[in-house]
Amino acid sequence: MSSFWFFNGLKKGIKTEKFPSAKPEFPPEWPSRLSGKYSDNCPVGAITPDGWIKEKCIFCRRCIPDMQPTGEQDIFEIKSGENTFKKSFHIFPLDSGACGSCNMEFFSIFSPQYDANRLGIYPVNTPRHADAIVIMGVMTHGMKEVLDRAYEAMPEPKLVIALGACAITGGIIGVPPLDRKKFNVEIAGCPPSPYTILAALNAAKGGKKEMISSEHKNDGGT
Amino acid sequence: MKYYKFGSPKGRFIGNTEKYTVYENTLSDRLDNFQKPTYRNFPGEFIFSYGPATGGLLESVGFQIQTPGELIKHIDVEPYFKARTINLRGLSPQDALLKIERINGFHAAAHAIAFEMAVEDALEIEVTDEVKYSRIIMLELERIRSNLEVVKRLCEPAGFGVPQNQIAYLIEEVARLISKVAGHRYFFSASSIGGCKIKVSGLENEIIEIRDQFETLFDNLLQSKIFLNRLQNNGVIKQGQLLGPAARGAGIKVDARISHPVLPYEKLGFKPDVFDEPDAFGRFYVRSQEILSSAALILEATGKSGNSDTIKGDEVTGEGASRLESPQGDLFYYVKINNGTIEDVQISSPSLLNIDAFRRSMIGNIFTDFHFNWESFGIWISELAVVIT
Repeated sequence: MSSFWFFNGLKKGIKTEKFPSAKPEFPPEWPSRLSGKYSDNCPVGAITPDGWIKEKCIFCRRCIPDMQPTGEQDIFEIKSGENTFKKSFHIFPLDSGACGSCNMEFFSIFSPQYDANRLGIYPVNTPRHADAIVIMGVMTHGMKEVLDRAYEAMPEPKLVIALGACAITGGIIGVPPLDRKKFNVEIAGCPPSPYTILAALNAAKGGKKEMISSEHKNDGGT
Repeated sequence: MKYYKFGSPKGRFIGNTEKYTVYENTLSDRLDNFQKPTYRNFPGEFIFSYGPATGGLLESVGFQIQTPGELIKHIDVEPYFKARTINLRGLSPQDALLKIERINGFHAAAHAIAFEMAVEDALEIEVTDEVKYSRIIMLELERIRSNLEVVKRLCEPAGFGVPQNQIAYLIEEVARLISKVAGHRYFFSASSIGGCKIKVSGLENEIIEIRDQFETLFDNLLQSKIFLNRLQNNGVIKQGQLLGPAARGAGIKVDARISHPVLPYEKLGFKPDVFDEPDAFGRFYVRSQEILSSAALILEATGKSGNSDTIKGDEVTGEGASRLESPQGDLFYYVKINNGTIEDVQISSPSLLNIDAFRRSMIGNIFTDFHFNWESFGIWISELAVVIT
């Protein structure tokens, strides 16, 4: 039976895309970089007369038609990366109060289409083995001590990554788990797409920050 | 309220909200609280703590396991580490919907539609049949992805890498399909009070492709005796209150798609999938079958579906309640609206009863059975650990 699954796996062929060295094959429109003019219909104040604040945006589509999605997945910020992790980057995900969609998108990067392992990115089971902690969700009372202890348990050097609008700004649900100054990397989106997460993690460990522009294959959205 | 009335307990127990006990068609203000069983440690037994943030857990949840070493004698589940407080009172139903979708993002369509149906009941809004079929498509697409995730996570602790990755591939394909249909990979902002906006053109071919690929995988998994041995007789539960796939796996034919017919499932010829093994294998089997039956429902519903904008009812005050079958079981919403704003929202999520069933079914099993049994219930902490203000 074991040989059956081995050959079954081989038969399927390679399903992994070339991203981030090639453009994304199926970039979602929501979330992606928005462009357009000021709209006063934003429930989280992400659209101001001075421009669009990606970290606040929950991509609820209320700003249509003033704002439109571009399909560009580069909605992340690397404040300070760490080249030490260039060849292997071990990440501990921590759910401080997420709705579950950020959790799912984070683990999606290990599915065959994205295969984060090929870029040297691995999830770990304990903060003691982690180079970076990925925080998802808003702050909740019960997870405060857990977050503090996980951070303290990590060896130096270490990165703190905020994944999703809730973790960066509190989104529409609550307050963020940490002061924004403490984040080395911020990945916007509600939830961020696997392309954005993969590109951000790759850039955080010393990879390329610029992404190859995506074409609109997915014309979803109404 | 068209579908519910306040009264004495009657019919199948659905769950508890903060204020009410929910039955099939009645709401009782006599709260039927779960009795937390006590356990006395025997000599040589100790408490093994697992969670809330560690490998093998998708969300933050804590377990306290009483054991002499291998056998699990008693288990306490602590789901409230990540309890979120979500403020809905004083918001318009449409603004509240943005937060409701984010109670459990992985099942955003189920939560959004259950809430919308309760608001429509409260404000006496009539929804077109086309929109009802669109909602069925959304719910069944979400069910396919949710059930695939459970099957994938059952393969994971078995170290069954090939099927695990093949199912992960299908999950991503479904997410891309949802993005194409609804504009968002998690159905956020795809439906509204009285309305729905999805695109179903080309959906049939992709659903048939996903269904056929999963059917082959499922047949192959059923041939894998080592995998099946990890599931059979693991987490046996047939007593007490069961919902969703946990109940149907144990041979109990309960399904809100039939018992609460607000959405026209019966017109699509839907019949619940039932099995007769009350263990992790039964739950795996029913969930796998439901992937196939959800695909059939989508194929039936696409020709009948249609869109509509948000509908504002004539009424601005009222109370309503509704229930639907989420991938884990009965999901109930009650809303009270006063002068166009939310005065009260009560939620009963299936994960509450599923956690209780998991806890009871784990006693007498061993540590290596833990993950198979936990994953077989498909429990989501985020829909349970939420306080509405």
